[in-house]
Order: sequence, then C-alpha cells, then structure tokens
Amino acid sequence: MSGFSEWLADVKDVCASEALAVGLPTKRVESWKYVPIRGLARTTWQPASPQTTEQFALTGGQFVNVPKVDGCAVSENTLTASEQTRLDRMSQAHGFGLTQAALENNRLVLTIQKTASVVLNLHHLANQASSAGFATLVLRVEAGGQLTLVEQFESTDIESANLSSLRCLVALSRDSSVTHVRFQAANATAHVFSNLDVECSENANYRLQTIEFGSKLARNDIYIALVGREASASVNGLAITSGTQYHDTHLAIDHVVGETNSEMTFRNMVDGKGEATFNGRVLICKDSQRSATEQSIANLLLSESARVNPKPELEIYADDVTASHGCTVGSLNKTELFYLKSRGLSEANARAFLQYAFAEKIVEKIEHRDIRELVETQLLGELKHGELIAELKESVDV
Amino acid sequence: MLSIRNLHARVSDKPILKGINLEIGTGEIHAIMGPNGSGKSTLSSVLAGRDDYEVTDGEVIYMGQNLLDLEPEERAWAGVFLSFQYPVEIPGVKNIYLLKAAVNAIREHRELPELKAGDFLKLVREKLKVMQMDESFLHRNVNEGFSGGEKKRNEILQMQLLEPTLALLDETDSGLDVDALRIVGEGINRMRSPECSVLLITHYQRLLDIVKPDFVHVLAHGEIKLSGDHTLAERLEREGYEGIEAA
Repeated sequence: MSGFSEWLADVKDVCASEALAVGLPTKRVESWKYVPIRGLARTTWQPASPQTTEQFALTGGQFVNVPKVDGCAVSENTLTASEQTRLDRMSQAHGFGLTQAALENNRLVLTIQKTASVVLNLHHLANQASSAGFATLVLRVEAGGQLTLVEQFESTDIESANLSSLRCLVALSRDSSVTHVRFQAANATAHVFSNLDVECSENANYRLQTIEFGSKLARNDIYIALVGREASASVNGLAITSGTQYHDTHLAIDHVVGETNSEMTFRNMVDGKGEATFNGRVLICKDSQRSATEQSIANLLLSESARVNPKPELEIYADDVTASHGCTVGSLNKTELFYLKSRGLSEANARAFLQYAFAEKIVEKIEHRDIRELVETQLLGELKHGELIAELKESVDV
Repeated sequence: MLSIRNLHARVSDKPILKGINLEIGTGEIHAIMGPNGSGKSTLSSVLAGRDDYEVTDGEVIYMGQNLLDLEPEERAWAGVFLSFQYPVEIPGVKNIYLLKAAVNAIREHRELPELKAGDFLKLVREKLKVMQMDESFLHRNVNEGFSGGEKKRNEILQMQLLEPTLALLDETDSGLDVDALRIVGEGINRMRSPECSVLLITHYQRLLDIVKPDFVHVLAHGEIKLSGDHTLAERLEREGYEGIEAA
C-alpha cells in the first residue's frame, strides 16, 4: 500500500472509500494522460501539520491568520446548493478529485461585501516531506465588490516529495471584479494541485494571471463559467518548466449566455527533460450569441528532450460569435538570434534575451508593480544567463 | 581592409553568389546596386554571418583575419555591423536593454571600460538627437510597432552607438519618406571617417545623392558586372539595368 491508501483507509467515510476503490487516475483518463503519477503513488502520504507564521497562509491544509479587513467577512462553512454542485463536480472528475474531497482538512468561506474593495495575499507554505495538505477556499464576491487575490508559494527546500492542494470556488455577483494573481515558485520536490472554479454573473469580470516556475509536479484545473450577460474573463498564463519538472494546466471557459467575452493567452517554455501540458477549451453554447473569444497558445522548446502537449479546443454552437485562436510550437527564432548576435551579444546572452522576451509578454501584464517586479526578478534567476538582463533592468529602468 | 575573393554562396541548393571579387579600402564607401534577386542581400548576410547561406567557395579577409571563420557575434566584436533590410522585432525586450548590452559587449572586446548607466544615457541621447528620435524609443520594445521608417532609423542609431569599422547597409533607404531618407542619409554621412568603411546596398540613386559613394558596383546574377565611380549610379538611373547589361 502506498500513495493515499493508508490515509484514506483511516478516514472511513463514503467519499474516502470511493477514492480508495477508484484509485489514482491512470493514463486512460484523458485529462490525466500525461501526468507522471509515479511520484504520487510511490510516496506514503501523511497529513501535513501547520507551521507557525504571521502571514495569511495555507499550511498543512489549514488557513491561518485569516485577515480581518473591512469589506471581507468570514462566513459559516455551509455551502449553497450551487457551490456544493460545483465542488461535487470537481470531486467526481476522477480518483484524485475524490481523494482531494476525502482528505480535505480545512475549508474557508469568505464574503467580499457589496461594493467593497479588498486585497488578500495568501501565502502557501511548504509542507513537510511525505506530507500533504488539502484545503478548500470559497470566495463570494457580492454585487459591485472588487477583490484582488495574490497567491504566492514559499520555496523552502524540502528533502523529499511534499504536496499541497487547494480547491477554490469563486462566485462573482453582478458588476463585481476579481483580479487573481497566482505565482507558483514552490520547492523543487513539491506536488502542487490547484482546482479553480469561477462563476461570473452579469457584467462581472474575472482576471487570472498565473505564473508557474516551481514544484516537481503542478496541475491546475481551471473552469470559468460566464453565466450573466456582459460577463468577461481573461487568463494569462506562463509556465517555465525545466529539469524533470512537469507542469499541466487544463483550462476551460464556458460561455453559457450571450454577449460574454473571454480571452486566454498561455505560454509554455520548456527546457531540459521538462514536460508541459496545456489544454485550453472554450465552449460557446447554442444561444450565446454575440460572444467573443480569443485564444493564443505559444510553446517554446529549448532542448532536444523537452516535451510539450498543447491542445487548443474551440466548441462553438452559436452562429453570431467572434472567435480567434492560434497555437504555436517552436524553438528560439533563428532570425531573432542572428539579429541579437550581429549586435555583439554572445550566443548565451542572445538566448537569454529571447527567453526573457517570451516570458515577459505574459509577466508585463501583471498590474501590481510589486508582484510584477518580484516575478521578473525570480524569472531572471530561473533563466540561464539571466544576469545580464537583471543588470540592465537595474541600471536603466526608471 | 576587406577583401572578397571569388565568393560563392548558395541557399538550399540554389547558387546565389557566383564568384564575387571586391576590395574595400579603409574609409571608402562602396555602393552595390543591382536588380531584384541579383544577390545583394545575400552578400551582406554572408558577410555578417547569417547561417541560412552556405559558402561553397572563396574567401573574405577582413583586417587580416578570415571573416568567414567567425561567428556573427565575433564579427560584431571585430567591428562589422549589418543594418537589416527588415529589422527584427523583439517584443518583450526594451530597446534600451539591447542598445546598452550591445555597446558594452563591443566595448569589452575593444578593451574599453564598460559604460555606466549615466554615461550611456548621455551618449544615447546625443545619438537620438542626431537621428531625430524621441527618448520614448528607448523604452519601447525592440522594433515592435515601429513604422518602417522608425525601424530604419533605429538601425542607424545602433550603428552610431556601435561605431563599426565596416558597416553593411542593406537597403536602408527602402520604405523611407523624403524626410526620413535625409535623416538616415545624414546619419550615414556622420559615420564617414578614415576608420569606417561602408558597403551600401541600394536600388535607388536617391540615397546616393546624400551619401556620395567612392565606388559603385553593379551586381547581377551573382557577379559584379560593372564597377565605376558615383557617375555609374546616375547612368543606371537613366538607362536601367537592362541598358547596362546589354552594353
């Protein structure tokens, strides 16, 4: 017995028994086809215990130091029928979904009150070796409310596999907006799971900026439903994958009603023996007329053994829509490299410039200057030969 | 300072240069003219080290060293500069990053101390003024969203900063309006010095009215068919390539 079996057996409830019976998803589960689950299955997982911190954090599957800020209230843990349905959908997706549900340690429900403007900074602390934490965050944004949620990951080295899972439900009432920045630079042995289910009512706007450098394995399941007219969503994502890392994002946006807008831009940069998967699906339902969607996926392969599995999908059942999509896979552009080298940049620096340029097109969209600069600094630390650009930024940026 | 001997080059299996011979002395300006497809751009690309072209015969000696043995960046360090016919856009990288990185890379190889931020800005502002470019150019991404004329001015700005000893200008005048042509032409004239040689590739006489070449060569079918002084360009303008080839 390994993986979550022993832990699940101890839990003794219906969901745990079901998770135990179904087991972890195999390659036959289409959405988990590329996920290397060996590391998950080999570790005998135990519940992680929370660390001491003064920040608002997720640690050992628990939320600690929930901030007391105006306009943000901690609500009771009773879910609405719709929230329960959405959570059940996550759980029932496959054996890992059931495991996430069965092993949930803590659930936090926050309400952003009418017309309030709230900023939340959530820190993900690393769990101990062979330990895992599972939690659920429910965010209810009332009419006209504005939420900025910034998630950051602690990168402390942990000697062996550790796991952190967060399921997050976001409900945006009419005229509300959420800017969600997720910067995943977790430790090199981390397994990070993020499930995000967003529902946008009339004239609500959800913006996600997700940057992923860290962890051994990361899996993001993002589902956004545009259920009210004039609702809009945009996702800008970047994953930098190297060594033997595996990054996987499955993103689906449903235009449930008409006059809704979505935009997804995702970039993968893969080096070494890294592997990245991106599945981006947009569905425009039959009566969702006058909707618009833009999808752009770019993949940059930096080594012979890097792998990328991009899959753009557009399903359109309405006839009056605007949709564009593009997906590219390639290595560094030879003409661009030649241009930089002809200006005296060494091969290594020219390559670093182009890699930085590829990533920066996503990073530059982060509006929060502090977070953007933090991401840029770490990005340059990740890049081979990023020092020259770091120096240039330092010396000429004002 | 540059000696091209029997240079043959091809792209894929198609021979483009079929035995170019050309001597360029220090401080000289040579113009190369010729019909479309004659090999003009190939010549400048081969000299700058673009690897889409395969050199099948001949040699290029530049200040005593075999230029063809050098990587593109080594050629830049040795003082070769190519102004691109189609300058490359690099979204995500600010123009000023490229300019400063390039200036200091080349200074390093000339054993000059690195320019500090303040000194660099002073220098670049002076050159921007010459090219009648706004300082906002520095903080825009390299060539991204630049008009055709802005891109060419940016190339000449880079050339002024890098102070090459051999400038290869590939159709720097194409796509320029009258004012931009004058600015670019004057930018090239400022490079005129006993230390800098220029190989100017152009279709038209109009740039040569501003930048007077010492020599004009006509390239056709991968060979230099005719050489002369600046009056040859005027003759070409009157008679066309067909008239010259027939003669």
